[in-house]
Amino acid sequence: MRHIFRAIAAAALAAAFGVAAPGAQAQQPFADVGKQPPITILINSSPWYGGFEKTVELYEKQTGNKVKLDTTPYGGMLEKARNAVRGDKSPYDLINLDTQWTIEFYEGGFLTPLKDIDPAFDLPKEVLTYGDSGYWNAAKRWRTPNGGKLMAWSPNGNVDLFLYREDLLKAAGIAPPKTWDDVLASCAKLQDPPRMYATVIRGERGNGIRFEWMYFMLGKGATVVKDAEKGDYTVTINSPQAKAALDLFIEVAKRCGPPNAGALGQGDVIQLLATGKAAQAMVVSAAWSNFDDPAKSAVVGKIMAVPVPAPAGGKPPALLGNWNMAVPKNVPDAQKKAALAFSRWFLTAGAQRAYAEAGSIPVRSDTFQSDLAQNPKFRWMNAYLTMQKYATQELGYAEGAQVEQILGLRLNQALIGEMSSGKALNTAAKEIEDLFRKNGRRTGSLPPLPE
Amino acid sequence: MIASFAAALNRSFRHWSLLPAVVVFVALTVYPMVNLLRMSVSTIEFAEGRAHWSFTPARNVALLASDAVLPAAVINTALFVVAAVAIEVFLGLLLALLVARLERGKGLVRTAMILPILVPPVAIGSMWKLMYNYDFGVFNQTLVALGAAPVNWLGSTSIALASVVAVDIWHWVPFVFLILFAAVEGIPPDVIEAARIDGASTVQIARRVMIPLLKPALAVALIFRGILAFKTFDEVYLLTSGGPGTATELVSLHLYRVYFEQNLLGYGALLSLALIAMIVAALLVSRRALRGMSRA
Amino acid sequence: MSAGATSSILPLAGRERAVGYLVLALAIFCVLGPFAWIMLTSLKQQIAIHTGAWSFAPSWLNYTEVLFGRRSDFAGNVANSLIVAAVSTLLVLIVGTLAAYSLYRFRWARWVVTAFLGWTLLFHMIPVLTLVGPWYVAFRELGWYDTLSALVLTHVTLNLPITVWLMMAFFREIPPELNEAAQVDGCPPLRAFWSIALPLAAPGLIAAGILAFIFSWNEFSIALNLTSRDTATVPVAIARFAQQYEVQHGQMAAAAVIATVPALLLMALGQRFIVRGLTMGSVK
Repeated sequence: MRHIFRAIAAAALAAAFGVAAPGAQAQQPFADVGKQPPITILINSSPWYGGFEKTVELYEKQTGNKVKLDTTPYGGMLEKARNAVRGDKSPYDLINLDTQWTIEFYEGGFLTPLKDIDPAFDLPKEVLTYGDSGYWNAAKRWRTPNGGKLMAWSPNGNVDLFLYREDLLKAAGIAPPKTWDDVLASCAKLQDPPRMYATVIRGERGNGIRFEWMYFMLGKGATVVKDAEKGDYTVTINSPQAKAALDLFIEVAKRCGPPNAGALGQGDVIQLLATGKAAQAMVVSAAWSNFDDPAKSAVVGKIMAVPVPAPAGGKPPALLGNWNMAVPKNVPDAQKKAALAFSRWFLTAGAQRAYAEAGSIPVRSDTFQSDLAQNPKFRWMNAYLTMQKYATQELGYAEGAQVEQILGLRLNQALIGEMSSGKALNTAAKEIEDLFRKNGRRTGSLPPLPE
Repeated sequence: MIASFAAALNRSFRHWSLLPAVVVFVALTVYPMVNLLRMSVSTIEFAEGRAHWSFTPARNVALLASDAVLPAAVINTALFVVAAVAIEVFLGLLLALLVARLERGKGLVRTAMILPILVPPVAIGSMWKLMYNYDFGVFNQTLVALGAAPVNWLGSTSIALASVVAVDIWHWVPFVFLILFAAVEGIPPDVIEAARIDGASTVQIARRVMIPLLKPALAVALIFRGILAFKTFDEVYLLTSGGPGTATELVSLHLYRVYFEQNLLGYGALLSLALIAMIVAALLVSRRALRGMSRA
Repeated sequence: MSAGATSSILPLAGRERAVGYLVLALAIFCVLGPFAWIMLTSLKQQIAIHTGAWSFAPSWLNYTEVLFGRRSDFAGNVANSLIVAAVSTLLVLIVGTLAAYSLYRFRWARWVVTAFLGWTLLFHMIPVLTLVGPWYVAFRELGWYDTLSALVLTHVTLNLPITVWLMMAFFREIPPELNEAAQVDGCPPLRAFWSIALPLAAPGLIAAGILAFIFSWNEFSIALNLTSRDTATVPVAIARFAQQYEVQHGQMAAAAVIATVPALLLMALGQRFIVRGLTMGSVK
């Protein structure tokens, strides 16, 4: 895993420099894929789409094979992917799935395992697997390479970072926080509403609060279920550790954030930090480009990154979100082979280097070259690397979407004060347990928390 | 030859004028509606790349009964629809009557008035969210400039729904205005003249003469705006996503979550039927209420 | 509109008139205010938008990015939307007006009228979310996925209920004596429809046409699922600016402003055309 850090760091630096691809080298294809029929890829419009598009153009130039990109708004991706696989013949040969959707497609049997298309295909060992979200063990109904088949590869991965204003912390004599106690201490000095909020975190109902709170949950060592991989779905969300995590989350939101903490989305957090109204924030790594662009930020060059704080003595939490490229089952064999050929090409060192140079974050560790100098534009890379060490995926089961909605509502209600943290977790636990029971899972519950 | 063809056309005009609409409906609406009914009593699971249907009406109804979020959604939806539609119809009527008054620039004003429904809903949601922004939105900026405290428009459980209703009003008053304005244009001026000569006041003319004449158009505006209000989705999704808590949770949003995000197609279909039942109930109730009012 | 009829004026005088104009001015301010704000936003850089700045350096960057950006075929999207909206509006007006006239004029059995109108209303109540699946399947079977024709047909179906109901409401306003007189004169039904009923219901036609056009123009769910990159319409293109983690407000505002222009132009032209066409054929 260690090579990942250097790898990613170097990649980011490479992208920062915008190193021009050596012209003559680009003529040789990075992998011999042969002549393939044209393919269509379902992909979302995103900050990293530009880099992907440029890399695809390079593929077309090198191999002469055609690739069509159907750029779809994020809100329409899932629907289009579902329509495609449920129909007779999919209009897309590669579909890009967000990590929380993969279970539905794996369980539904809609995809062809990549090795079934070509037994010789394998992910190069340098390719990052982001918590093994691309593997599916049908017997265990779990995403793992142990006994699992390779279903997808990841073109992009995200993790939260803790960003702070170097100038403000220095002026207040505070060191970059390592634990949430540090953060709370800093809030005492920095919080000055409405001029300045010390720390802003997403708290909006749904995926927003669920994702951010899980960092606190993991930090305190709490879990949603006992051991899903082994099939034990006993609900453990209302444990004392989880309550401690929720109380900590609410305390940070109340003491360090704005009055509308329960309505903050990722866009709002970015806005507060970029306009200079927030001193610290938890932000996804993908949003970094907002802060050093003078057209988008009033604090260019002033933002630094550290890993998300852990509770004192706890382990740093690192929840992942990533995209997964998969091949639908209802595609003709020739198209499947063409899709796989593109995948193979895309994951080569040469292609990933081009990907990095085009401005995206590569997914191959060796793309990072350690001989590149430290570029201040990629000062967030160290934090990113550290977090990759502890990276995990959560909610990797079929009921994931429903569990997220339950948690997303109850956590939000606790945050805005509609119910106590104990009651919120108890309610969520009961609803999740009912859900698992209806689906025939082996489940149980913990004794209820005091409300 | 042509004469006899024309004659035949005229004789059967009664039938073939209705036919295209019937054909469209049969071809495109029967299958989805039958499918919806079928889904509402089934559970649909996906495995091995196919959909597997099982007949489970009891289970779906049980899901409906045990849905924790649904009661709040129904109440919010009822509040939302009543408030939004009532205000929109009132304002739309008022504006239609006023704009009809203008001697010049009527076309210009009418064009200006319909701008809000020209803006795509996704843009309306995003732009209004910006305007409602607690720290930087234009409303709070104005309040602060006037010396008042900023308001938590979308983050406070007590006013979030009202904020959403306000956006809906801005968006849809033009719809009502358009329909009623067209109807007002069709009122013969001699009727108004006669009433004026009889010495009726403006309000009396409006109430006793014009509004009864506008009844059919009013009915259409009310019915269709009402139905659309029950189905409101885009703006609420972008503004608040149903939050904070369940303060702005609407049935359409909940349906989207169940049917689409959670992929519970059977229960989602049942929920759609429940929504349709709500709408029908609302229409029947309002019909009776309006009839009672016109008698008074 | 029958010649010589100015719009009925609600006679106001003196103080009432002032109040009336005041209310109107207020309404116009409330309606145009947010729209003006959107236009302002479209000229700002993202940081200016996010800080709500009132003094900023205006630039056309958002517009150039929306129209000529690498990844955008906004012009193509506008063209698609125009075609779909115009054709579906024309079709729905024809089909809907004919149906409404038929129901109003010819003595159909009560159950026919109730069944037809009831069905249209019931269909109108169904959440569009549940229609997407069946229609996607149906059109893919026909091989019409990713075509504008599929979109036109679905939009006609979606707009038919309100068109029928609206036109019926306006036809009902026609004094029945006119119809009887026409019948006595031996006027064939088709001509009665074209020369008598339609001109009198013209305001309704305009309103229904405008509404059908707007609904088709802004329709999102069906357009998203029945089209791909080449046939995408404006709402689908605009939705690309609402990304997973943030909204690109500047571009979205610019796209929203651009999106209103063709609709406005078409409606301004369309109104005059309809009015002229109908008054030419009307027989007094």
